[in-house]
Amino acid sequence: MLNILIIGNGQCGNRILDAINRDAFGTKSRFAKYLAHQKYKSNVQTIAINTAVNDLKEMSFTKAKDRIHTPHLHGVGANRNVGKHVFEDNKTLIMKNIQERGNFDVAFVITSASGGTGSSFTPMLIKELKQKCNYPIYAIVVLPFREEGTLYLQNAAFCLKDLRESGTDGIILADNQFLKQMGGNVESAYNGINDMIARRLLFLLDALDSEMMMVTDLGDFKTVMSGGAGIATIGFYEADSEMPIRAVIKKALSPEGLLFSTDAYQEASRSMIIIRGDRKYMSIDEVSSEVEKLSSSVGQVFKGIIVRNDELPQVLTVLTLESAVELEKLYAIAVEAINYEKKKKERVDSMKELDKAFSQIDGMDPSY
Amino acid sequence: MKHFGKTLTFISLAVLLLLISAGSASGKILFNDTLLEGDGFQINNYVIDVAEVFSEHGAATIYVFEGESATPTHDKFVSVGSSFKFTVEGEDVEVTLISIHSGIALRAKLLITVTDGSFINSKTLGEVKGGHKNAVFPKTPVLEITKTVDADSIMVGDVINVKVSVTNSGDGDAEKVLFSDPTSAKFVLQQTLISPSGQTVIKKGETRLIYAYSLKATEPGTFVLNPTTAIYSNSIGDDLPQASSNTPTIIVEDSSKKANLDVTLVVDKYTVDRRGNLQGTIRIKNIGESSASAVTVNLAVPTGLKYSGGDSAIEIISGVPTIYLESFGVQQEKEISFNLKAMDEGTYTLSTQNSYRFSDGINPTSQVASSTSVTNAIYVKKGKYDHLLEQPVYVYLAPLLVIGAVAGWLFYRHRQYKF
Repeated sequence: MLNILIIGNGQCGNRILDAINRDAFGTKSRFAKYLAHQKYKSNVQTIAINTAVNDLKEMSFTKAKDRIHTPHLHGVGANRNVGKHVFEDNKTLIMKNIQERGNFDVAFVITSASGGTGSSFTPMLIKELKQKCNYPIYAIVVLPFREEGTLYLQNAAFCLKDLRESGTDGIILADNQFLKQMGGNVESAYNGINDMIARRLLFLLDALDSEMMMVTDLGDFKTVMSGGAGIATIGFYEADSEMPIRAVIKKALSPEGLLFSTDAYQEASRSMIIIRGDRKYMSIDEVSSEVEKLSSSVGQVFKGIIVRNDELPQVLTVLTLESAVELEKLYAIAVEAINYEKKKKERVDSMKELDKAFSQIDGMDPSY
Repeated sequence: MKHFGKTLTFISLAVLLLLISAGSASGKILFNDTLLEGDGFQINNYVIDVAEVFSEHGAATIYVFEGESATPTHDKFVSVGSSFKFTVEGEDVEVTLISIHSGIALRAKLLITVTDGSFINSKTLGEVKGGHKNAVFPKTPVLEITKTVDADSIMVGDVINVKVSVTNSGDGDAEKVLFSDPTSAKFVLQQTLISPSGQTVIKKGETRLIYAYSLKATEPGTFVLNPTTAIYSNSIGDDLPQASSNTPTIIVEDSSKKANLDVTLVVDKYTVDRRGNLQGTIRIKNIGESSASAVTVNLAVPTGLKYSGGDSAIEIISGVPTIYLESFGVQQEKEISFNLKAMDEGTYTLSTQNSYRFSDGINPTSQVASSTSVTNAIYVKKGKYDHLLEQPVYVYLAPLLVIGAVAGWLFYRHRQYKF
């Protein structure tokens, strides 16, 4: 049994973590926490960290003892510099809580790249953990909608940079901009993206601790994640009716199944494919055909097959990327955003000349 | 032998005299003595006179008179040793001439016997000097008492005047007359105008007013006045049968004004589940002609029912729901509601004890009236969920433990996730 740590930082990380804990009950009922136990195969410990107490309070499926509030008003206001100071102030508290839970085989830290708390805490937290612990730590990072604002874009750019420098063993990207294809209003879109990420991570955790017909394990996952440029994404597809396994694999590798916009066959460096479902769907020929097709482009493809009676076929793919056109685009936009914010700050500073005008009447009173 | 013959003759004569004696004295001897010529012997209303004595013939003429009639009913010429009979009040009287005695005054010895002398008045029995013309005969007074009233139909509180008069319709004076006139029940003697004092004499043919008084009726109804009676005797002191007056009938109608509270007690249902609720209503209406005061209605709640509240007019006094109304006018109505809870299975009746006071306009003090009102039977049947309470303890304990465990678990989980 694997010992797995999942940390959700900031509002986005908290919500995805809560969705994971909810789905772990096996039902989406709000009463699941009263009626059922979480069905983690591994020893999974979850921790939610936030500076905003309201974000912690709105969590429903994460135990209170697993929520750490690092007090700073009601959040850091998307200011990563403030976030970093708050983390420094509460680092001891956070690390003590994590270390009291023992040693782990792997850890995942979920965060939004664009927010305040998550984007500032996560790189520093991973850096601390890497200094004190020897298990692999992977960051699951949610990129912002491009139109969300310049602060979010520059946060995302600096967060990803800080993450790469934090010593993380890999960054798994999920892109809101890419996933907004799901449609719906903002709330349902966010909830849908959170659910997608939660479901993929749970599938991955289940697969890493399951007996397989064809084996992939944590070691294979580490190998996959160590390939490429340290950037990865996850694809997933679950058939809603009987369909050939070949089609399901293709769907999992298509934009329909991926969390981040990429061409798996062009940009992937290493890959893992985990197939789950009833034996009748597991056509070795079809699986081999698709794996061979991918490996001919990617190089190394780890594959695992989990037989579950009476289940429709589901496929999870983990892809590490050598390059990411979409990420380059993001940074290009982020640079523009940084410059925009810089100029705006300069304009605001020049506005302080007005203070001189006001200072001319300091110490004077009106006469009537 | 000669001496034996004298003895035999003497015995024969003695037997003969005994036989004669036995034959003439066949009953009680009333008289066995001599009477002077012209004297008589009285037996009640009869007088046996020795009218004439014939000494030279050894006979006498004997008359029998009845009452004051101068003509004898019997005129007998009787020889010594002879007798005759006549009847007095059904009994035979036999008169035997025993002997005749001559001298300055002629006398006749008579033996007078009667078969049964129990009817004979001792006061009119005996020798009468001068015979029939000097005999005293008893008279019979007859008192007729008449009671009259001036009205025979009156109202309660009205006064009637009563007069009692007596008439002696007999042939003699009534002596030692003593009247009695007890006052009838339901009447009160108001005033006495005339009343006799002690014994009196009512002369033959006399009519006298002996009572005059007034009575006041106290209650409604039909009443018979008690008779006035008189005891009296005749001139010789014989007590005569008591005389009684007529007994007038008086109809007394009710003129008083009464309060009459009609108290009805109803409940909204007469079959109720245990632990169910009942609503009761007490309706009070004064259907009398006088207002009532101090109206008190005590609600008697049986043990299987429980009083659970009611209108503000109901107070709990010594555990009894009580309605007290200071006054209650004529034709006034009031409805008072209350609630009951059925506690135990069974059949019950609800009742009220009602009392009130009123002035009837006649009596100076207020009158008290009381009544009782009772509902029909109220059936309390097993409650809808009573069967649940009839199970063994473990039947309740097990679910309670489960519920407790579930609640505990939910609370525990809630605390686990409450931040």
